Amino acid sequence: MARESLGLRRTALSVVVPVLALLAVVLPDLVNPYRLFLATLIVIFAVAGTGLVVIMGWTGQIALAHVSFLGIGVYVTNWLFSDVGVPWPIALVLAAFLASFIGILIGFPAARLRGFYLAIATLAFAELISRLFVEVDVVTGGIAGKSIETVRLFGMSSARSHWYMSLIVAVLVFAGVHRLGGTAFGRCLRTVRDAEVATGSLGISSTNYKLFAFALSAFIAAIAGGLFGQLLSYASPDNFHTALLIQFLVVVFVGGVTRLSGTVVGAIFVIVSRELLQDVGDWQRWVFGISLVLAVRFLPGGLTSIGGRLRSRRSSSGEAITSFGEGVPA
Amino acid sequence: MLQQVIAGLQSGSTYAMLALAVVLILKATDVPNFATADMGLFPVFVIWQLIERGLSYWLAVPLGIVFGVVLGLVIERLVIRPILSESHFASVLMTIGVSVVLGSALQLIWGSEPRRLDAPISGNFKIGDVFITYDQVLIIGLGLAFMFGLRYFFTTPWGIRMQAVAEDRVTPRLLGVRVGRVFSVSWGLAAAISTVALLLHTQASVLTDAAAGPLILKAFVAATMGGFGSVTGAFLGGLALGVIENLSGFYINTGSRAAVAMIFVVIILMAKPDGLFSKARPREV
Repeated sequence: MARESLGLRRTALSVVVPVLALLAVVLPDLVNPYRLFLATLIVIFAVAGTGLVVIMGWTGQIALAHVSFLGIGVYVTNWLFSDVGVPWPIALVLAAFLASFIGILIGFPAARLRGFYLAIATLAFAELISRLFVEVDVVTGGIAGKSIETVRLFGMSSARSHWYMSLIVAVLVFAGVHRLGGTAFGRCLRTVRDAEVATGSLGISSTNYKLFAFALSAFIAAIAGGLFGQLLSYASPDNFHTALLIQFLVVVFVGGVTRLSGTVVGAIFVIVSRELLQDVGDWQRWVFGISLVLAVRFLPGGLTSIGGRLRSRRSSSGEAITSFGEGVPA
Repeated sequence: MLQQVIAGLQSGSTYAMLALAVVLILKATDVPNFATADMGLFPVFVIWQLIERGLSYWLAVPLGIVFGVVLGLVIERLVIRPILSESHFASVLMTIGVSVVLGSALQLIWGSEPRRLDAPISGNFKIGDVFITYDQVLIIGLGLAFMFGLRYFFTTPWGIRMQAVAEDRVTPRLLGVRVGRVFSVSWGLAAAISTVALLLHTQASVLTDAAAGPLILKAFVAATMGGFGSVTGAFLGGLALGVIENLSGFYINTGSRAAVAMIFVVIILMAKPDGLFSKARPREV
């Protein structure tokens, strides 16, 4: 029975995946540039969400500095590319390495902190970084901001190039993270989340795994940032603040923080709501707040957990990240 | 210098009061409440609205505090109690969500333009070379009163029940403690403290929808400096933070003001995560 359904799933996948891939490749010819821009934004938010899946969903750390790493990606990529003259893909990777180095720096205290102490430390850190965005005006243009130089692939239009660039990066990131999740390494990360006290006796260094998770999540955030900058075309320190953090929290927690598919669902949810509520700006924030509250209250596994719930009827299965954390039940 | 210290104590008192509200809820319900500042700001806007409608300050303020308490009780009952059995992960996200909802609702109702909320008593007096406003005396004095009040409160039967419940939710219930009521009392009380803190803070500066944002992190920084278990520690942490901030703003530059607090908290969390006044505490394994 189980094997049968697995086989069925595989056949379904072998049909769905090529169709989706084809659709993705021809999408620029099907929709207008604005729709394509929104689709690109969804892809970028989903990529950034993967970073949060690694650190929050798998490793169980309340890390709230994601937007800072995204900002580092935006600024450093652009600075290396337009001011220093490094080719764009290399600039992107260098920026991502810088972000993951800083991720390790914040990871050091974080590895010792648990629960909400980590939330405070990462929020404070994010505040520091946003100060830095104002101060280091050579790179960031200070409080006034800086325009981002556009990259074009083989002379395509900018909307088109951004779409294909984001698509390529998204495929690489998703494939990489998905693969990592299935390895012993990915299981170790989840062990750090579920049974940190046990890790020591199993010869797993929870500190090292946390540091790695921080580095990886910062790396992914900066990669997403490099692409995000292209869409923004003008970046100021205000872009990387609480409002954006809330949107990323909604991406992962409405979608389902333990699953990669959750970030796609969540990214679609956020970008579509942003689009629908564009004319009533202030309602956006309210809707995101309510979504976050409702998701934590009623759907700890996110939208992508609904299918599994209906199938197994065990509503309190172990998928929900929010029911883990301290090791010792309250 | 002394003038700067006094100004620092004034902003420090706001941080300290909010830190007390944070510690109170944490001690009773084990929830780190990131919505503390917004829970205080919303009732202050209600107070402003009441005064605008022609009510006197002395009537509007108690009504606003009652509104704040009711708001706190409703939030606790509606969204906090159902997730109490879960970890800090859930409660951090939930209270962040609540703060976003409150903050944006406030913006939707009242908009973003700055307003003035006039204090009933104004003016200043002079000791030596130092000017002291009545506002400053009031805010520092009330802060002290809240701290001693809470210290006393934690020695009363209610306060002891509260700490027992935070430690362990099952045993106190077996011993006849009505856990739900303990939660309500702590959230109601914390909401009242936040309302007073935000009222004093906004009438000393301006009343805008953006007032809560910077305060909440400061409150947590103050509580961290004091160690989350201690009322006195949280209060002193708040005062210290205010003074340090003001002095660095004065002697270094205004940009350093915000950074100094954050650098402090990161260092404290790395070196002494249980606060500056803590004793070693074993962790259950």
